[in-house]
Amino acid sequence: MSFLLSLEEAVKQGNRNSAVSSVEDALSAKLPPQDILDALVKGMDDVGRRFKANAIFVPEVLIAARAMKESMAILEPVLVAAGIQPEYTAVIGTVTGDLHDIGKNLVGMMWRGANFKVIDLGTNVPPEKFAEAVVTHKPDIVGLSALLTTTMPNMKITVEAIRKTSDSRVKIVLGGAPVTQDYADEIGADGYASDAASAVDLVRKLIAS
Amino acid sequence: MNGQERVNRMFARQDHDRVPRFEQLWKETLVRWQGEDFEGDLNDFLDLLDSDFHRLSMNWPAIYSGASSVIEKDDFHKGEYLVIEEDDETHVLRDPFGATVRLWKNKSGTPEHLGFECKTPEVWYQRFKPKLIENGNQMNLEKIKEDYAIGRRAGRWCFLAGVETFEFLRAIIGDEVGLMAMIEEPEWIQDISRTFTDMLLMNFEAGLEIGIEPDGLWIFGDMAYNHSTVCSPKMYRELIWPDHKRLVDWAHEHGMKFIYHTDGNINNVLDLYVEAGFDCLQPLEAKAGMDVRKLCPIYGDRLAFLGNINAQLMATNDVDALEEEIATKFAAGKAAQNYAFHSDHSVPPQVSWQTYQEIIRLVDKYGSY
Repeated sequence: MSFLLSLEEAVKQGNRNSAVSSVEDALSAKLPPQDILDALVKGMDDVGRRFKANAIFVPEVLIAARAMKESMAILEPVLVAAGIQPEYTAVIGTVTGDLHDIGKNLVGMMWRGANFKVIDLGTNVPPEKFAEAVVTHKPDIVGLSALLTTTMPNMKITVEAIRKTSDSRVKIVLGGAPVTQDYADEIGADGYASDAASAVDLVRKLIAS
Repeated sequence: MNGQERVNRMFARQDHDRVPRFEQLWKETLVRWQGEDFEGDLNDFLDLLDSDFHRLSMNWPAIYSGASSVIEKDDFHKGEYLVIEEDDETHVLRDPFGATVRLWKNKSGTPEHLGFECKTPEVWYQRFKPKLIENGNQMNLEKIKEDYAIGRRAGRWCFLAGVETFEFLRAIIGDEVGLMAMIEEPEWIQDISRTFTDMLLMNFEAGLEIGIEPDGLWIFGDMAYNHSTVCSPKMYRELIWPDHKRLVDWAHEHGMKFIYHTDGNINNVLDLYVEAGFDCLQPLEAKAGMDVRKLCPIYGDRLAFLGNINAQLMATNDVDALEEEIATKFAAGKAAQNYAFHSDHSVPPQVSWQTYQEIIRLVDKYGSY
């Protein structure tokens, strides 16, 4: 099996040792860094597809994301040196009043796995901090998370604060247990994802449109 | 017919006069209602609802436990809390499970997990497991005895309550380490599950030794979310299910029914619950795709259902929509004689007291057999 195929397979299986050694082998063999990155992303895309189809579950996604992360730690300096940028920049956070972070972290992992640069603002993030991050980082995407029915209304004020910034290009997507597509439409967000893998597809679709 | 008889007859699929009832509220909901025209506390609310169920304290064996609680928490969070830092709104604490968490000071909500002392099997085997075993019985037996006397006087169906492995794993090693270890170190997860379940059962046994005869065992553990279960049914069957079955068997050996609480979409493990002998599921989150109108015709003879009335719909305060929700779900539940009323979560503070009074009216209207 080629280095790239074995790298893709290692990510799919969540085998971090194999993924890291495959990246090292591929770099030693002077394979183009973009090809190595593409193999990693292809592996994570497959993980996302199977997760959406309930063929695999959260544990399998977590070990795949960890294999991707450890591989990227080796590959990243090479990508930077070659002038290869992440595909998109995303800002993510849990809205004010809510300390929940599991869903947000999982989406962040999947976005990184899709070669997005992710700026994680953490939990209990006030609307003005999201707005500041949009001005500072000029992201393509902002992801808002809320676990609770009581904190979901804070998504609305956050969307309003972001829309007031001069960056009209940014797409805002929502996720979290109480959130629905109807709610996303109602508060003027660009999209809603029901799970972490769908969040990757949603962003690609929104930006392509 | 009192609550105990009513719920027992529901479990036996025998005729009963009305759909049994129970409810749980967010703290903020009660505060809101007290600011409207509701007078009283949670017990007064349950009296007004004419609740049929009565909880006897909560069993959650912890690592750091004892009398030196720094911060008063709910029954099931009793133990040592060490304050690490705080600001106006939140405090960062080391909790009774050795986790560093950020919690709100003056409102309820899920904690942010910042770190865990128990990150590896070595720490579990060398420090945490011996400490958990050494702690022994952590149940407040006096409180249980007192609760039991109150429940019996009220003629309600009294249940022992506790948490299970998924909840304990989340508390002690966190979701990420715990879920990855299910694949990479399954023996560790099995040992945590077995040890914790041993402690639970030891505590429950101590509860029975004070002379009470509860009607049921209600175990809380979230193993699913909107999309599905957190792990595959196969993984659940191999690692955790055997200990769920031990809890079910213990309950049945002592003449109790077994109720299991989990949020989320659990459609893919219902057959495993049946195989283990679960008697009832709660709260059946509507937003996660659970629906008693579909479940009762299929599982009604093997599982009872407690809940499924959409709390998000309650939060809209749209009484017409709630009438449709209650009328159709009660009809399905009554057809199988296996259904009891409860929201599909806890009632959130967006629900006005006026709306909840309308809900009680609808429960009266559609709940009679």
